[in-house]
Amino acid sequence: MDLSVVIPVYNEEESVNFLYEAVTKALFYLNRPYEILLVDDGSKDDTYQNALTLASSDSRLKIVKLKRNYGQTTALHAGFQNAKGKVIVTMDGDLQNDPDDIPLMLNKMDEGYDIVLGWRHDRKDFFISRKLPSKIANWLIRKVTGIPVKDNGCAIRAYRAEVIKNFPMYSEMHRLMPVITALVGAKFAQIKVKHHPRKFGHSKYGLSRIYKVLLDLVALKTIFSFFYIPLFGFGFLALASGLISLVILTIGILFLFIYPGQSLVTLFGASALFASLSLFLYFLGIMCHLIYRTGNLKIENLYRIKFR
Amino acid sequence: MVTQEMKNQIDLSAIIIYYEKYLYDDVKELHKAYKASLEASQLNYEFIYVVDGELPAVIDELNKLYKLGERIKVVKLGKWFGDATALQVGFEQSSGELILTLPSYKQVDENDILRLIQAVNNKDMIISWRWPRLDGMLNNFQSGVFNKLIKLIVGSDFHDLKCVVKIFRREVLDKIYMYGDQDRFLPLLADKYGFKVEELKVTQSKKDAVQKFYPFANYIARFLELISIFFLVKFTKKPIRFFGSTGLITFGMGFILAIILFVERIFLGVALADRPIVLVSILLMIFGIQAFAIGLVGELIIFTHAKDLKDYVIETIVDYENAPVNEEKHQEYPQHV
Repeated sequence: MDLSVVIPVYNEEESVNFLYEAVTKALFYLNRPYEILLVDDGSKDDTYQNALTLASSDSRLKIVKLKRNYGQTTALHAGFQNAKGKVIVTMDGDLQNDPDDIPLMLNKMDEGYDIVLGWRHDRKDFFISRKLPSKIANWLIRKVTGIPVKDNGCAIRAYRAEVIKNFPMYSEMHRLMPVITALVGAKFAQIKVKHHPRKFGHSKYGLSRIYKVLLDLVALKTIFSFFYIPLFGFGFLALASGLISLVILTIGILFLFIYPGQSLVTLFGASALFASLSLFLYFLGIMCHLIYRTGNLKIENLYRIKFR
Repeated sequence: MVTQEMKNQIDLSAIIIYYEKYLYDDVKELHKAYKASLEASQLNYEFIYVVDGELPAVIDELNKLYKLGERIKVVKLGKWFGDATALQVGFEQSSGELILTLPSYKQVDENDILRLIQAVNNKDMIISWRWPRLDGMLNNFQSGVFNKLIKLIVGSDFHDLKCVVKIFRREVLDKIYMYGDQDRFLPLLADKYGFKVEELKVTQSKKDAVQKFYPFANYIARFLELISIFFLVKFTKKPIRFFGSTGLITFGMGFILAIILFVERIFLGVALADRPIVLVSILLMIFGIQAFAIGLVGELIIFTHAKDLKDYVIETIVDYENAPVNEEKHQEYPQHV
């Protein structure tokens, strides 16, 4: 199998038929064996029934039905685990992405990239509620990680399967996936893709959750940047805070001689607090070491290229 | 033709946990009553008794039952491990597609056990809700408060988590790991996982309707359980969102306080040497750093163990491998080169 197209759908009963038509049409001239994986993320309407009708007449259409609505990251993960293609393409189920872009992305991929990202340069959404928050989020993500991804929210992407099969997918990881895979060394390209206004239903993702995504990002960036430093960088923080403690202590002792009789509670107190912080961080560093040693996912194993 | 093997196929495993601090009825009588209910369900069943700790009297009784030819399995734990662990152990010994947990004393009317078995049909878990309650105001009040708190914290609307009589599919315990005393939260966790959990109103037995005072430590344990369940349900996979936010807020408070003190010192000349508020400010900042750091460690745990944390359930995979590819359909598209 060359290509798996993974599409999470949630309450898209009207779109499913159009989606199927559009994707099969776009892939028809590709002349590659492919499969389409619809991941029904616990839809409450007739999405599943409609998809089932389609699947019964086309063996290339597969459906993974989840027990309830778990969100996009989980849906994608379920799709990835069941995808058999060497290349995995993801897209949204709401017809806002254009499957005609898939061949273009695959061409780009053949140039030697691991990931090809869509970039909605002409986005058809409301400015205040959708475009602006996303612009801010993209800017922040660029600043924090230094990885120049222009559009982290664009769902149409192509991945080499081995890059993402091992990838831990939890929380809202799918948004950050391009950035994280780039952080471990995957080569990515971005191409402009078409974007259509919504035809059916309404947007299922509320206002941007910039704050949460940013926290997630800070955490991951920290993990990725510090994992090779002894004690995960906590050692340095512990040293710094120990140093602060010592400096304050010295000042306190000097004061004892220069201004005898003055209250030194705050100085000695502060020194003690920083000393305790230093110890705490040192212990945490040891914990990190333990956790990383016992964990079954090593960052250095995340990205491995097999040469063919 | 029904082969011997098919006959031995177990549909339902009933797990009964004995623990010294619980009430227990006469073992033989109870077994008889339960057996009658299971017999009526016309399923192939097995009984698994888990004795959690030292209960020689019960072991004796169970031995007698076994010698009488009853189909029972007895597992004895070396010391007390808690209901959830006992349930896990019983589960490992079981082979039924359905698991029915029963208390060591009559908690609900026998007929309701049959109703419960029948209700599980297309659901994943049925829990019983003893209603109307026969026990006194105090018990009602206690469990009322407990359930209200759970609703407030987790947002799930179950009325009687304490009732032991539950039936669920094997899959539920395959996916959810519990230990210690968490068994009462199984319905909540199952619900969160995406299993279909429902309540069934059952008649409370008179034996169950006794006023119960618990030792004070029990209430504290319940409260701590509530907190842990709150984390289990809300933040398992995103520790940084909780610890990080807490850390940022406290650090911010400490930092603002520090700025105020700094301004006072420089511009108003207020001496700081004997003001404990300086320490409060530093303490807040340090706590903020600690909370954030713990959040990062949490993220590291999740990240490196994410593969073990598959907490979703796939209902079906449709793959018509042999379905014909409708070739004609594709000829409709116009050629474009």
